[in-house]
Amino acid sequence: MRVLSVSVRDFRCYEAAAAPLGGGLTVIWGPNGAGKTNLLEALYFGCTGRSCRTVNDREVVRFGSRTARVVVAAEDEVGPHEFTVGFTPGEPKRMTHDGAPVERLVDLSSRPLMSVFLPERLDLVRGVPALRRAHLDQYLAALWPARAANRSTYAQTLAQRNALLARVDHGGSRASLAAWDERLAAAAIALMADRAQASSELAAAFAEIAPSLGLEADPEVFYRPRSQASSIEEFQAELRERLSSDLERGFTEHGPHRDDLVLRHAGRQLRTYGSQGQQRLGLLALLLAERRVISRYRAAAPLILLDDVMSELDRERRQALVQLLLNDGGQAVITTTDQEHVPLIESPEIALVGVGGGSVLSPQTATAGVQ
Amino acid sequence: MNTYAPALQRLIAELSKLPGVGGRTAQRLAFHLLRASEEDALALADAIREVKSRIGFCEICFNLAEGPRCRICADERREGDVICVVEEPVDVISIERTHEFRGRYHVLGGALSPIDGIDPEDLRIEQLYARLRDGEVREVVIATNPTTTGEATALHIAAGIRQLAPATAVTRLASGLPVGSDLEYADELTLGRAFSGRRAL
Repeated sequence: MRVLSVSVRDFRCYEAAAAPLGGGLTVIWGPNGAGKTNLLEALYFGCTGRSCRTVNDREVVRFGSRTARVVVAAEDEVGPHEFTVGFTPGEPKRMTHDGAPVERLVDLSSRPLMSVFLPERLDLVRGVPALRRAHLDQYLAALWPARAANRSTYAQTLAQRNALLARVDHGGSRASLAAWDERLAAAAIALMADRAQASSELAAAFAEIAPSLGLEADPEVFYRPRSQASSIEEFQAELRERLSSDLERGFTEHGPHRDDLVLRHAGRQLRTYGSQGQQRLGLLALLLAERRVISRYRAAAPLILLDDVMSELDRERRQALVQLLLNDGGQAVITTTDQEHVPLIESPEIALVGVGGGSVLSPQTATAGVQ
Repeated sequence: MNTYAPALQRLIAELSKLPGVGGRTAQRLAFHLLRASEEDALALADAIREVKSRIGFCEICFNLAEGPRCRICADERREGDVICVVEEPVDVISIERTHEFRGRYHVLGGALSPIDGIDPEDLRIEQLYARLRDGEVREVVIATNPTTTGEATALHIAAGIRQLAPATAVTRLASGLPVGSDLEYADELTLGRAFSGRRAL
């Protein structure tokens, strides 16, 4: 699905604005504080009903206004599509897909997939494993929507087993423990197999992309499962070994809910040993690698939103990034304060959107800025 | 809020305990009953009283029954050597509609769910084992729901039967695509299950 434009009303710094998107790379350009990132956020908000920058949705409503509204126009082989999100703080969001109200935009099977690079997302590289695990599962669900159920089955079964452990501790019966172990083992093996397959595809793409962006010394990404089991029986045995400590704790200590996705450079974990610059490059390469894998399985590459990524890269790597975004197909949007930071900016494949003073400049004005 | 006469308030409170009935619907139903003829309103009360006094559980399979045994357990023509295990009486009705199954049933009265405090002792599992002890049952078909709790219940019972009556075959209903439906309308989960359970032609 191709996103054609985003229109906003009373969103962040914008009273009313509309920006067209190109079919490939779109560059949002303007001085600091002009509202470049707000436009990226509006795209994400309009396609998912959530902000990619804050958990407090109130912040997206323009100061002094009551209701923020975002409309995203898109098209696919079937025809045009429209996604809208209206938000008044204190009320439920009103979201529509092609004019019909929907509860959750993210549940729609036909919507633009999105991937976001923001400074805040650096936590994905340097934060706790839970963040990377959740991210891995999201990417997996984007690759194979039918397999997303394996994760929720595992989570439900784990919650049941934990409830049982806690009850046994209070004198409850443990007669059904073996059955829950077998269920949990089956769910765990399925989930670990999905994660392993998704990560191995990712590893190959990451190893290709990361060096061109500046992580040259053996960049790797790999799945690190907590369990070594390769069959349901082996996983059950692992659970049995840990039963007494699980009973003591009242929860299940072992299993894929403790897995991690490890990013390494020069043999060391980026999480702990990477510089901030390397961590940023690691995140960028990870998102681009995912996008490449997803575009092989699904008809379209996800729309990738890259906030202020150019300022960190030197000339050669900027060139590499722009080439990669153009060659991998699909749509991408990047923000920059300086047009000179974007190589090939005059090429017809790149669409330019100028912003300033809380409004989107008309394409003519923006082009005038280049000359 | 509490401006109704106490009797009416009580009726609304009782009605709103029903599944799928909220405060507003309960109020509508209560006013409907008030407006209805005495005969109609009391017919409902009698029906409720009668169902509670006459319908109980079958002493063998715990299906709903008028009297000590349900119609299926009382039916001599049903095969006694196959038992289909289900969670709720309503599941018996669904399977009966197929006219495929000629054996007898066993209703568990729920599924294992430690979160809700449901242990094996809370289900009629012991009673199922008791039916198997005399060794006349050749096969047990486990037809609990294909949910997390239903699957765990199926595993628990299967393990119990293997220990108790190793000669008894334990089978599980297959899950997959509904007949007559097009692939494009199947949801991903069902289609995914159908795929992993595919067989050679």
